[in-house]
Amino acid sequence: MKGFSQKTNSKLANVMDSAESGSGFSQTNSEIKIKSPKSKKRKGPGLRDVSITENPNRNKWRVIRWTFLLSVNFMFFASFYFDIQILEGSLSGSRLLGFHLADPFAAIQVMLASRVFNINLIIGVTTIVIVYLLIGGRFFCSWVCPYHFLAELGEMTHKQLIQKKIIKRNHVFNGNLKYYFFALFLVLSLLSGYTIFEVINPVSILSRSFVYGVGLIIFWVLALLLFEIFYSRRAWCRYFCPVGVPYNIIGRVAPFKVHWNISKCSNCKKCQRACMVPWVLKNTVNMGAADYIVSGDCTRCGLCLDACEDGALSYNIRYLDKLI
Amino acid sequence: MKKDLTRRFFFKKTTTAVIAGGAAVYGVASVPLLKSSELQLRPPGALAEDLFLSSCIKCGQCLQVCPPQVIELAGISSGFGIGTPFIVPQKGACILCKGLPCVLACPTGALDHHISEGKEADMGLAVLSKPDTCLARKGQNDIVFELQELEKSKMPVQVPLTNILSKLISRLTVDEEKIFTQEFNLDSVNKSSISAIAAAISEAQFNWLKQFTAQTKQAEEGCRICLKTCPISSEQPIVFQAESSADSKEDKVIPVVQRTCVGCGVCEEECPTSPPSITIIPRKKWSSNDLQQGVQS
Repeated sequence: MKGFSQKTNSKLANVMDSAESGSGFSQTNSEIKIKSPKSKKRKGPGLRDVSITENPNRNKWRVIRWTFLLSVNFMFFASFYFDIQILEGSLSGSRLLGFHLADPFAAIQVMLASRVFNINLIIGVTTIVIVYLLIGGRFFCSWVCPYHFLAELGEMTHKQLIQKKIIKRNHVFNGNLKYYFFALFLVLSLLSGYTIFEVINPVSILSRSFVYGVGLIIFWVLALLLFEIFYSRRAWCRYFCPVGVPYNIIGRVAPFKVHWNISKCSNCKKCQRACMVPWVLKNTVNMGAADYIVSGDCTRCGLCLDACEDGALSYNIRYLDKLI
Repeated sequence: MKKDLTRRFFFKKTTTAVIAGGAAVYGVASVPLLKSSELQLRPPGALAEDLFLSSCIKCGQCLQVCPPQVIELAGISSGFGIGTPFIVPQKGACILCKGLPCVLACPTGALDHHISEGKEADMGLAVLSKPDTCLARKGQNDIVFELQELEKSKMPVQVPLTNILSKLISRLTVDEEKIFTQEFNLDSVNKSSISAIAAAISEAQFNWLKQFTAQTKQAEEGCRICLKTCPISSEQPIVFQAESSADSKEDKVIPVVQRTCVGCGVCEEECPTSPPSITIIPRKKWSSNDLQQGVQS
């Protein structure tokens, strides 16, 4: 854990910075400073107000989030294993105290493949859409998805391996790939009449493994994890996962977001180093274009909140704060 | 520097194209590769296999609500069927519970909500696949047969013997039950006392039991277990017909599967012979010449 605290050595920081900027989404820091009109107002790196004490609780949100994630997945397991019937099913389709819930991507695949629009499924998807409109889109990813949890551990391992120079560098892909995958697998479902993606969907595979026991297909998930650890950091969640795409779209309009207080920010970029998706903080912290982290890929994980030593980042509700 | 950037850009384009292409190839190639050829027995109300595979969201809620807990989820060997529910009757058959909770639990209608009763299910069809071993055809009693098999098997007897004994007692006449309780010094006959007998049975007691069973009234009857255990036995899915054969010295009867059979598989699970003489053909629909095939095969 200590290796990932914000006291990373400068070499690691450089390695990571160069890796992130290669994503095609963020520009280099020097460019931004020239382009951004607001950058003059900032205090600039290293000029942080001395009166601000260091954030004492560096893992606050991570601990809360992991507890939540593991509890949700444990509820799936316990509802079946101990027959307490609170959260029955798995992440592709479930029932919370009798109310239908369905994963949007899986449900759309089912509807396209079978060409049947089942009322329970529509209710389940609508409920999920409403819930995530309230709590913020890809909130699902970092607070519920069991693969995200494994990938987070994988990311830690990856960073450590780079630090120890066992791996030379991180490889990046185009962040739009997940949208192509989303479209591709929907078209394939429609044409073939099978939910093709569900065969390889690591989220539902893991969720089922949690509840009903492990099958051979778990090796596919492990292979994916090894790919992430040794080749491309967090590749699945960042670039490929089409399950996250509906949540991504919901997350753009969902008002629950991370707020960036520009007047407190010392532009140290520690949040960007902590952020699990390199382009999420681009619009705000890099470009100064918005008060809120508006990227659809923001999972509201809270790592940037933990990393920020200026108290510039906080959870907030967009529109509501202007109303009051 | 500029050259380097374009090269990097080119590589990124290529890897992106390779990955997207790979996914497309997987998607197209998977259709013929992942189609499972063997049909499995699905829970009651399952749509036609292709539509079932596309409708099932693989959540496993049917499994969670299944009272006898006989539903399993398929692994990668069934291709597109991964995560879909299936039943192996020999491990545990569907008992067509009242209200069909699995059908009610299904969020996608892959288990068709239009059916509400077990007799409306259409899971498959039973066939007398091994008529030569069928006890009904031999005119042999199932309990007598099971006791013989148990003696041969040398396996731990407690569990199977408990089952046999409870079956036996349920079929005894009042006088026969008195003899039974006297022999084992029982005050009352219930589940715990039966399993206590089964746990500590001596060889002499076992032999007595065999003789006793052979002398009881119901030992004269041939096996009818497939019909007796059938969850929808009132629908007469199996009738015992006299077998017409050339050298009919004895009166042979044969179980014949009727149209009302839904293929739940309880007869396959309960059939005393091993392998079972009656088996389920998953997803098979009844057609008029099945009656003939049932006799012949």
